[in-house]
Amino acid sequence: MLAICSLSTARSPRKGSRWWRGGPLERAKVFLSFGRHRRLSRSRQRGILVILAAAFAAAVFASPLLADVESAVATEYRAFPYINSRVAIWMVGELHLMYAAFVLAVPMFALIIEFIGYKTGDKRYDRLAYEFTSLLSVSFSFTATLGAILTFMLMILYPRFTAYLISIFDKTFWPYGLLFFAEAGFLYGYYYGWGKMSPRLHLFLGVCLNLVGTAIMFIANAWLSFMSSPAGIDESGSLISTWQAVNNYTWMPINIHRMIANVCFGGAIAAAYAAFKFLGAKTDEQRAHYDWMGFVGNFIAISALLPLPFAGYWLASEIYAFRAQMGMTLMGGAFSWLFIIQAVLIGMLFLGANYYLWLGMERIEGAERYKKFVKYLLASITICFIVWATPHSLVATIEEARLMGGAHHPVLGVLGVMSAKNTAVNIMILTTYISFLLYRRGNKEPTVSWAKYGHAAQFLIFVAVIGFVIFIGIYGYFVEAQVRIGLSVPQVLSVLICMIVVTIIDIFLFRKARLIGEIRWGQIPARAQYMLFFLGVTFTWLMALMGYVRSGLRLHWHVYEVMKDTSPDAYTPTLGFASTIVSIIVIIFFVFIVFNFWLTGLKERPAWKPKTVLPDETGEPEPGT
Amino acid sequence: MKTLLNISLLTLFTTLFYWYVGQMVPQKETYPPEDVAIGADMTPDELAGVGEEIVAGKGACFSCHTIGSPGARAPDLAGIGARAGNQKEGMSDVEYIAESLFDPGIYVVEGYNPIMTPADKPPISLTQEEILAVIAYLQSLGGVAMVTTTTSLPYTSTVAASGSSAATAEAGGPSALDELPGEELFSAHGCMACHNVSEPIKMVGPSLYDIGARMTRGEIYASIIEPDLEVAEGFPGQVMALTLQGTGFNEKVSPVQLHKLVDYLAGKTGN
Repeated sequence: MLAICSLSTARSPRKGSRWWRGGPLERAKVFLSFGRHRRLSRSRQRGILVILAAAFAAAVFASPLLADVESAVATEYRAFPYINSRVAIWMVGELHLMYAAFVLAVPMFALIIEFIGYKTGDKRYDRLAYEFTSLLSVSFSFTATLGAILTFMLMILYPRFTAYLISIFDKTFWPYGLLFFAEAGFLYGYYYGWGKMSPRLHLFLGVCLNLVGTAIMFIANAWLSFMSSPAGIDESGSLISTWQAVNNYTWMPINIHRMIANVCFGGAIAAAYAAFKFLGAKTDEQRAHYDWMGFVGNFIAISALLPLPFAGYWLASEIYAFRAQMGMTLMGGAFSWLFIIQAVLIGMLFLGANYYLWLGMERIEGAERYKKFVKYLLASITICFIVWATPHSLVATIEEARLMGGAHHPVLGVLGVMSAKNTAVNIMILTTYISFLLYRRGNKEPTVSWAKYGHAAQFLIFVAVIGFVIFIGIYGYFVEAQVRIGLSVPQVLSVLICMIVVTIIDIFLFRKARLIGEIRWGQIPARAQYMLFFLGVTFTWLMALMGYVRSGLRLHWHVYEVMKDTSPDAYTPTLGFASTIVSIIVIIFFVFIVFNFWLTGLKERPAWKPKTVLPDETGEPEPGT
Repeated sequence: MKTLLNISLLTLFTTLFYWYVGQMVPQKETYPPEDVAIGADMTPDELAGVGEEIVAGKGACFSCHTIGSPGARAPDLAGIGARAGNQKEGMSDVEYIAESLFDPGIYVVEGYNPIMTPADKPPISLTQEEILAVIAYLQSLGGVAMVTTTTSLPYTSTVAASGSSAATAEAGGPSALDELPGEELFSAHGCMACHNVSEPIKMVGPSLYDIGARMTRGEIYASIIEPDLEVAEGFPGQVMALTLQGTGFNEKVSPVQLHKLVDYLAGKTGN
């Protein structure tokens, strides 16, 4: 079973497991309203309370109810009308995850931006942080609604599987439900309390919101990571230790990977919102604001994208550590071609992000100095993209395969292996980082006495690291598989160290730098804004695809090695079918999110006024229409 | 409005592009492994033939092992039948291979990591007979298959002959219907109430007497799982879906039964 779902050997912690693993009335009225939109806010809040109550009841009271139901009805699966149960759960689950990712990520960077505004006294940051936060209100209710629907669907469509998970994780539902209430309190307090309390108290609310949100995600991650790498149970699948079940092999890697990916996704969707607002802006001031907001959102997304592959390496290595067979299924088996689709998506992200930066340089006076480098950067990314998207084995007719001497192309086959792909992705990351450095120094001239040596040091570090990455990539062709896999670590570390050291040099190099021009916020081509939206769609598609593979790699297991999927949907569908479902999910998400953008924008509209009409014969004015 | 239209089109075309990429890669459905029939009177060579099927299928051995092309994650199996008896002192080839299958962590070939899970445990879950078949096949790689279903091993599989372990049985386990042939399953699920399989006679549903000539196995499978995906001309939609829903077919039918039904119907070519 893909989206939720698929137990035998004792699962006590393995040898070598790491230490962390083991496993008053008026005031209230003001608070619950917001300016002139009191009526809308109240009705929305009533809806939210209903949703919260439903979700809480589902989470907390499901266990005993299901236990009764289970004893009365030995039903394993129920069918969902028109589309089968798997597709229905898959779509609702993924939509819930997308909204949850957005709602968890935005408070992270909203808090940081608010803090910058507080420390610098620059009101622009405060307004930007508020604008980001305003997106949360509607999104939170969508998240809760989708979560409640998902819970009910699991109970109805997969009763035995859901009952089993509840038997393992019932102790986690109480804190989850309570934390959910706490998150609602902190979120609405943070949003509606903006400018109505001391900045320090408001920042404290933001910190609490982030802590509670992260804790909620960690608990939910325990449920899904248990399905892939169960622990804390005996031979029959019965619970031995809840903590061990929570602290399973892939829990912490998924926590970290999701946290970074959420920031990436949240930044991209916030940037898409800014682009949406920019394109509809009526004044230069609005355009300048939303241009800046889009830039910040995209900067957050790309900054989080750069370390994401490293978190992905960790997750994959833990999957291999849990069961090598599962790792093989992921990278060399049923899903190996999925990573070609992923390469296309990430390649488009890097191309799009760089293109946006290059367009952004056009609004920076002085940045034209660096325009000559763009073609080289483009060439670098394009070549890396091609290498990364080259499959190891080609789809070929029997005749073509005979001519090639097998499924591997004599030339392209060399590029389809891990050594080449790791090298390509690391250079692509460095190229994007160089684009950002050029953007950053567009209108600046260093004034420090050692500027010449600073530039030289940065240049030499780049040359040395790129040379090292390429050397390691070539060296990988001449060593055994076990050694080759380990080579990705020095490649990754060298790139990370390069970015950190060059950034430190750059900060000191451009301290007290002379400004040779202004950044003309708002004066950017519309295509840059469409590019931001394109990036948002691409991030969303990528997120849905990776959600599919994370769940799908269990193949015909609801809980890997513990509970088999015995439904008619136990098979793993084709990547084409998965792409169709992912595409439908992405389109539904964007219909929802654009509706959210529209709702969020209602607060800027002038208050509704009844039309003034001539008095009727009785002298009473007619009511407005 | 124009902005909204542009953004909608951008979203749609971007999604369509990625959807297209998804259609361009090789398409393959992966089904749960099926149990292989092993007769008690099989000769070692026949057993080795079955073992070859298990190694390539249910055993998922080729996820890590190779035959004749070393360099993978696990040792190359070419010639294992000839060298197995010399790997550990005092251990016969059968004992060595059995130990490698039941308790692979005891002896790990130098240069490789201990990544193999016991063959009689999930996710592989081979029965005793299936493991004997695998041993016979491995013996045949550079040696001679000697093992039969009566060969005694120093280990015993915890998996019942039906292929279900204790935990999977708890999760429902295989139904008694799983043992029936496709023709009897067709009757057992009441399909004959609406479909004729022996003559081209229309009933509530179309005749299936030549369905194997008209549809591929995949199309037959799809028409059972999602009957309204393509409704036969002259027949109303939703009837079959509602009937299956009403009879609880979707809850009762297992993948094994579905495969048998598809096999049975695919054999109906009108002859």
